[in-house]
Amino acid sequence: MVVVDAAGGGGRQDEESRRLGFALTVPAQMLVLFIAAFPLLMQAYISLTDWSPLDGIGWWRAWELWNGFANYSDLATDNRFWGALGRTIIVMAICVPAEFLLGFGLAILFTGNFVGRRFFYSVLLMPMMVVPAVAGYMFFMLFQSGGPVNDILSAIIGSPVQIAWLSDPDLALFAVIASDIWQWTPLMFLILLAGLLGVPEDQLKAATLLGASWWQRFVTIVLPRMKTIIVIALAIRVIENFKVFDTFYIMTGGGPGVATETISIFIYKVTTQELVWGYVAAIGLTILIVLSVVAGVAIKYMSAQRREA
Amino acid sequence: MTRSPAFEIFRYTVILLALSVTLIPTLWMTSMAFKPIPEWSASGADLTWWPNEPTLDNFRFIFGESSSELIVALDRTAGKPILASLLSAVFGTLIAMISGTSAAYGLSRFGAGQSLPLALTQLRLFPPLAVMIPVMIMWAFLGLTDTWWGLALVYGIVTLPFAFWLMKTFFDDMPYEIEEAALVEGCSRFRVFMRVTLPMMRAPLASSALFVFILNWSDYLIALLLTTREWVTIPVYMASLSSSMTGQLYGAKAALGLIAAVPPVILGIAIQRHLVRGLTFGALKQ
Amino acid sequence: MTAIHLEGLVKRFGDFTALRAMDLEIRDGEFMALLGPSGCGKSTTMNMIAGMEAPTQGRILFDDRDMASVPMGQRGVGFVFQNYAIFTHMTVRQNLAYGLKMRGMPRAEIDKRVGAVAELLQLTSLLDRPSAKLSVNILQRLAIGRSAIIEPAIFLLDEPLSNVDAAFRAVMRTELRHLQHAFRQTMVYVTHDQLEAMTMADRIAVMDHGVLQQVGTPLEVYNNPANVFVARFIGSPGMNLLKGRLADSDRGPVVDLGQLGATPPLPDALAAAARTAGAEEVFYCFRPEEISIAREGRGLAMPVTFVERIGARTIVHLGEGEETAKAVFDNDVGLSAGETAVISANEETVRLFDAASGQAIGSA
Repeated sequence: MVVVDAAGGGGRQDEESRRLGFALTVPAQMLVLFIAAFPLLMQAYISLTDWSPLDGIGWWRAWELWNGFANYSDLATDNRFWGALGRTIIVMAICVPAEFLLGFGLAILFTGNFVGRRFFYSVLLMPMMVVPAVAGYMFFMLFQSGGPVNDILSAIIGSPVQIAWLSDPDLALFAVIASDIWQWTPLMFLILLAGLLGVPEDQLKAATLLGASWWQRFVTIVLPRMKTIIVIALAIRVIENFKVFDTFYIMTGGGPGVATETISIFIYKVTTQELVWGYVAAIGLTILIVLSVVAGVAIKYMSAQRREA
Repeated sequence: MTRSPAFEIFRYTVILLALSVTLIPTLWMTSMAFKPIPEWSASGADLTWWPNEPTLDNFRFIFGESSSELIVALDRTAGKPILASLLSAVFGTLIAMISGTSAAYGLSRFGAGQSLPLALTQLRLFPPLAVMIPVMIMWAFLGLTDTWWGLALVYGIVTLPFAFWLMKTFFDDMPYEIEEAALVEGCSRFRVFMRVTLPMMRAPLASSALFVFILNWSDYLIALLLTTREWVTIPVYMASLSSSMTGQLYGAKAALGLIAAVPPVILGIAIQRHLVRGLTFGALKQ
Repeated sequence: MTAIHLEGLVKRFGDFTALRAMDLEIRDGEFMALLGPSGCGKSTTMNMIAGMEAPTQGRILFDDRDMASVPMGQRGVGFVFQNYAIFTHMTVRQNLAYGLKMRGMPRAEIDKRVGAVAELLQLTSLLDRPSAKLSVNILQRLAIGRSAIIEPAIFLLDEPLSNVDAAFRAVMRTELRHLQHAFRQTMVYVTHDQLEAMTMADRIAVMDHGVLQQVGTPLEVYNNPANVFVARFIGSPGMNLLKGRLADSDRGPVVDLGQLGATPPLPDALAAAARTAGAEEVFYCFRPEEISIAREGRGLAMPVTFVERIGARTIVHLGEGEETAKAVFDNDVGLSAGETAVISANEETVRLFDAASGQAIGSA
């Protein structure tokens, strides 16, 4: 299933195709340079200063506010940053496994044919297509104290429930996690189902005939065959979940207090409310470097695994 | 393989449960969009799941028609934000698709731009917030802040990885022989690309473009950072729909949310077949 | 060691009937081939024996045990898939050990049995190789070994040679026959290739359109086809069928072949059987291999349309339109297209079929 690079050009590498190939990639290269190379240098520069857009001097004169690596050492001791990072990881540690297990479970139920399969499939995929900001607003409404969640709970318990979900620090975290699981379980479902359907039917039959139970087949055939797909699905959700902003910010604005302030919300707030852009640049650059290292290690590890297999 | 009746019952139970969890938030917003003000918020017992007196007032309100019940007047209507969302998403999609498709072809056929796959994957990996400071400075400097074209440019760059990867896998799948035949006829390579390859790839191009459009249309954060007033997009405008006098304008927000949610859901169902490919950067095909 | 009884087996998929009322007895230790063109119901039959599909009607018995309620994993069936369905993410050893491991057998015992089977199949040196890139004959042996190791009561093979190129098939056929002797198990072998069925099977069940046409040893099926379908299907080329009417002449009973203008004689027994059966219109049939040919004389005069010389054999195509025949000779016959040949069938090998019902008349 993993794409093999066909690199079709091998056929005729004449001067014309070399020049056309170069010309075709120019726009994309320019855009990447435009967003990557120059801005990164600018970001590195500003991160070494105390510059703020309120200072009234152009960013190129930020050296007048040079403060060396002070932003970086501030970051090391910024409790709000570490708190946000920790919260982001906690949210990830709950959301990603929950989405994976729910999505996998649903995907297993969707193997084989049954009445209404196509319809159910389409409807179950819907949440991931809803604009995240709108999804955030949906859940904002759901969790109002006079909203449907409390109404359903009241109906179950039999007495009126008036929980202020979004203004209680613990419950607010629960609510934003619920929204993330609602929106992104379908993505796991979609990818894992595609993987499940790619497991050769004959091998499952052969295993059954050799006496393997459902669970034994799952462990010895299905899981090993889906390893790559599972890694891809998890990687996508880990990356996306780390960036989560829209739904959370609309539901709680990071609050109450900092109860639901993830790393993205933290950076956003520092950018737009405190306006210490030198500091923000330092945070951003730190995250970029750490993520690059993590990604580099992961890619190296994965390609080593592939070579073994 | 062998399905017992008990398994079927279990399957339908779980799927129907998942279906209701999926639908309740959406239906609730739909219901809110058609509720008159008195039904917007309710405490406990008198919560209405379905509007008692369905009305289109919320939709009229966000498009500037004053209502007898809502005392507040909007300083601007939803019309311009919808236009802003459309323009920035459409042109962002164009930028991403044109540069992404040509780069994908260049790499897939001629092996040009070997550094692009990694660079574009990294672009997708990083949280936009971590790189927004220089972009905000540059955009202010270039006068692109609070314009739909400035937003479209960022969208084009942010979704370029998707356009590139999707089209690359489609080009990789396409047999080279057809183009080769046209080359033998004496066409130049560029002409082959324009007149043979692209027309043949019409369906993949359409799917990829729709996929990229959905992503652009769904943005909130970048618009929040780069637009302030004139060209705010739907989600940014929606968040501002509240006033100190009335608090949250629930119904109006729900109506706008519905308008924002419908296009990507419909388009998403239309390109269902290619969703896996798009989301996994072409690593998986359905 | 198990016998299989199929009783009134029917399988319908929606409106389509894949198998109509199949009765078949497969004897203990027998190598039975299910032979027929694609879509004849042979694979469906096999899948039902294995338990992958449930019959719409009818029963499947292993010895005296009704299998209806026995799930596929517990039937004790070894199954070799068309593509072998090797677990390519495992080594050869892991593949062989799979069935035993699933049964929770102790490690030492598994090692012992894997060793023994590997020895028998000459896989010992490959045990720790990944199974993803093995050659096709090793894959076949591995697939058989993987099933054999759980000591199945019966073995089912689903066209295992259909993905193998022609040159290699002969080798694989020989190997399979050896393996059957080694395991001495009841084997059911599905194929559309009559050469495989004829060379390997103890008995052949010929099927067409979901109906069992004939069961018999390869020679029985070859010599005494039960109906027109089997006559045409078995043999390469199949039997020659010429339409005619029963008639009498001063020489005794004959078949009047109408526009061919010939009246070849019939053996008395066959003529008597035809009269008893009340048949008027018949197919006069004979094997292409059982023909003598001349340039003139008594017999069927037919134009030669084409002479195919394939090394050891020569096939002469005769006649045009509806009335055609083929003749096979071991040597070149010195005829060429455009000439007229006079053929006569070896009387003892002539068969008659009722033209209305397609069934064989009498039996030799």
